[in-house]
Amino acid sequence: MLSRSAQGLYWMGRYLERAEHLCRLLQLQTEALVDRPIREIHFGWSRVYNSVNRQPPMGDLDPLGGEDYTLADSYTLADDLTFERSNPDSVWSCFALGRENARQMRHCISAEMWTRLNLAYLRIQKLGIQDIWSASPESFYAETAAEIDTFMGVASATMYRDTGWRFLQLGRFVERAQRAVALFLAQIAADRLTEEYSEADWTSLLRAYHAFEAYDRRYSVAVEPGQVLDLLVTDPLLPYSLRRSLDMVAAEIAVIHASPNAQTSDAVHQLASRLVSLVHSDWPVREDRGDLLQQMSADCWELHVLVTATYFDYPIADFPAR
Amino acid sequence: MDFDSYALDADIYDEMFLPDGRPREHCRELYEALKRLSPGELGSIQERVTRSFSNEGITFTVYGDDEADERIIPIDCVPRVLSGAEWRLLESGLIQRLTALNRFLEDIYGEARIITEGVIPVEVVRECPQYRVEMRGFSAPQGVWVAICGTDLVRTNDGFQVLEDNLRVPSGVSYMIANRKAVKTRMRRLYRSSRVRDVEHYGRVLLATLRDLAPTGQSDPGIALLTPGVYNSAFYEHMFLAREIGAELVEGRDLLVDDGFVYMRTTTGLRRVDVIYRRVDDDFLDPLVFRSDSLLGVPGLLHAYKRGNVSLVNAPGTGVADDKSVYAYVPDMIRYYLSEEPLLANVETYLCRRPEDLEYTLDNLESLVVKRVGESGGYGMLVGPHATPEEREAYAAQVRANPADFVSQPVLALSRAPCLIEGRFEPRHVDLRPFVLYGREPRLVPGAFCRVALRRGSLVVNSSQGGGGKDLWVLED
Repeated sequence: MLSRSAQGLYWMGRYLERAEHLCRLLQLQTEALVDRPIREIHFGWSRVYNSVNRQPPMGDLDPLGGEDYTLADSYTLADDLTFERSNPDSVWSCFALGRENARQMRHCISAEMWTRLNLAYLRIQKLGIQDIWSASPESFYAETAAEIDTFMGVASATMYRDTGWRFLQLGRFVERAQRAVALFLAQIAADRLTEEYSEADWTSLLRAYHAFEAYDRRYSVAVEPGQVLDLLVTDPLLPYSLRRSLDMVAAEIAVIHASPNAQTSDAVHQLASRLVSLVHSDWPVREDRGDLLQQMSADCWELHVLVTATYFDYPIADFPAR
Repeated sequence: MDFDSYALDADIYDEMFLPDGRPREHCRELYEALKRLSPGELGSIQERVTRSFSNEGITFTVYGDDEADERIIPIDCVPRVLSGAEWRLLESGLIQRLTALNRFLEDIYGEARIITEGVIPVEVVRECPQYRVEMRGFSAPQGVWVAICGTDLVRTNDGFQVLEDNLRVPSGVSYMIANRKAVKTRMRRLYRSSRVRDVEHYGRVLLATLRDLAPTGQSDPGIALLTPGVYNSAFYEHMFLAREIGAELVEGRDLLVDDGFVYMRTTTGLRRVDVIYRRVDDDFLDPLVFRSDSLLGVPGLLHAYKRGNVSLVNAPGTGVADDKSVYAYVPDMIRYYLSEEPLLANVETYLCRRPEDLEYTLDNLESLVVKRVGESGGYGMLVGPHATPEEREAYAAQVRANPADFVSQPVLALSRAPCLIEGRFEPRHVDLRPFVLYGREPRLVPGAFCRVALRRGSLVVNSSQGGGGKDLWVLED
C-alpha cells in the first residue's frame, strides 16, 4: 500500500480514538455536574487536563473556587476541550481531522465507512458549546462516542482486510494505549498531590472504560485503587484494558508486511513485544506501578516514532528500487 | 405538476418540447411522469437528491479569503433525455473527431505535414503556448496522445455543435455517475420503464483503456492516478476514479524516477508504476523539463515516458490540439486526415489574428462572445450582449493590443431544458460533456455530464460560475 495512504489511515484511527476517549471522559464530567460534590468535579477536570497535557484556558484550576465559580468554569473548560478549533486535541478538531484523513483516503476505505463518518461530521460540524450545554451535554458526548463506535463497527463489517485495515487498527490501538496510560498517570499524580484517594474518583475511572460492572464481578463493592489499575491494565476480557490494546498493537505489527527498512522494522517488532511483556509479566510482580506506567508511556511514544520511520517516512536513498 | 407557465421560444431549441408545445417523442414518458407528480412529491425528490450529495460528500472545493469551503454542485432532479438515434450521431461524431485530433498531434510533433501542405498556418501552432517543443520528434505509444477526452457540446436549432475539445485533464465524469446514482433511486419506476442506458460501468471502461496503453510486455501493469492533491477543486473526482479503477491515488511526492523507471513509495518499499493517469497539468508534471518551481510533479518523469517505461495519460503536449485558435481548424483536420466530412459541426469562430476576423469582431462586439485563447473555465471572456458599452470598450482595447490572443464566436442560442426552480418548471440553458476514451479502440459510455446555467437567462454553465448539473438519460431504441 502507498505509504501516504497507510499513514492517513493510521492517523484516522488515532484521531477518532482520541475523540472518542475524550467524549467518554467529558460525558462523565458533565454527568458529575448534576449531583457530585465540587471537589470531585474539580478532580475530574484536573485529571482530563493533565492527561492531555494541556493548560486550562483560565490558567491553573483553582481548587478553592466557590460552587458557582466552578460550575461556570465547567462551561469554559468543556468548550475548550470540545469545540475549541485552535485546540488540536479538542473533540471537534480530532473529529474533523479524522474525517479529513478519511476524505483524503476515501478510496482506501469502504463507501459505508465514509458515509457514516461524513454524516456524523455534518451533525457536529456547525455546533458550539451553547448548542449542547443547556439541554443535556452528556447526551451529546454519549452520541458522539456512539457515532465513532458505530463507525468502527461499520469498518469492521465492511472494510477489506488489507494493509490499510491493519494500519487503521494499529493507529487506533496505539492511541488507545497511550491515552489510557496518560490517564492512569494523571490519576496517580492527583492522588499523590492530595495524599489521599477518593473512591468516587476511582469509580469514575472505571466508568470511563466501561469497567464498573466487571470490577464488581471480579473484586467487591469496595473500590480500591490498586485493584482498579489491575483490572484496567491486565484484564484479558475487558475491551478497553491496556493489555488488550497492546496485544492488538503487537498482533497488527506481526501481520504487516516487512518494510524495506530492516533495522527499524526489527525495532518495531521488539518494542511491541516488550510492551506486551510489561503488561503480562512485569505488571503483576512490580510494586512501582507509576514507574512502570512512565516506561510504557515512553515506549508507546517511541513505538509511534518507529512505525512512522519504518513504514511511512523511510529514507529512499538507502533502499534502492527493486 | 403542470407545464402551463413553461415558456418556449422559437429561437431556442427546447430539449423536451417541440415548437408547438407537444413533448418530443422520446421525452413523452418523462413528461407524463412529471405531470403526475404533485409539487410536494417533486420537491421532496429534489430535496433528497440534493441531500444525497452533501451526505456522500460529493463536493468541490472553493477557496475563499481564509478557509477552504467544500461545496456541492447544485443538481436539478429533472433529467435531460436523448434518444438512441441522437446518441449514435454524437458517438460517431466524437470518435471521428478524436481520431483526427490524435492524428493531428502525432503529425504536429512529427513531420507536420498538415502545415507543410498548407492546411493550418504555421503560426497558429507555433505561437500556441501549449505546443511543447520538448515533445517534438516523439511518437506516442500506439499513436494515442489523447486517451481521455471530455468534449463540450451544445445544441441549437441547427443541431449539435462542438464548443470545446478538452484534451488535457478534462473533469466532470464523476458527476455524470453521481447524478445518475442520485436521480435513478429517487425516480425508480420511471427510470426502469424508461430503459435508460447504463453509465456506471465507466470505471471498467477506463481501466480497460489504461491497460491497453501500458508499456509493451506489461500484462498486469501497476496503475496510479496522479493528483495535485486534496486542495485541487477536482479532488473528489480523483479519489472517486482511483477507487473505481482500483489504482493508487498518488501525489508527486509519492513517486520517484530511478534509472528511467517510475516507482511509488509503499509500506513494503518501492513499487514500479507502469501507467499514470495524470490529473496534473503539463506545466507541473516534471520540474526538470517544465516549470522548475513545481512541487506537484516528479523529476525525471518525462524522460521515463519518452523511454517507453511508463505511460502518461494523457500525453504531455496535447493542449495544442484544444487551443481555441487550433479549434477552428478541426473540421479541416478531419477532412485532411480521414478524408471524411465532419459529423459534428464546429461553432463558427473568428480568429482575431486574421485582420478581417479582427475587424469583424470589433465591429460586432455586442453580438459576439470573445474568448482569450489561453483561458478556460469561463474566465476572461466577454459575453457581448450582456456587457455594458464601457466593458465592451475596455475589452476591445485588450483585443486590439494582442489580437492573436483572442477568438470570437456568435452568441449561441444554447438549447434549454426544464428545471425545477422555486417549485415550478422553468427553462434553463444546458450543454453536455460526454467522455471519449481511446485505447486500442475508441470507447464511450452512453451519457455525459450535463451542465445547466441555473441563473435565469445565463448562458454560463461552468460550475465555478454558478452552474449546476443534471442527469442525462440516453434511451435504448
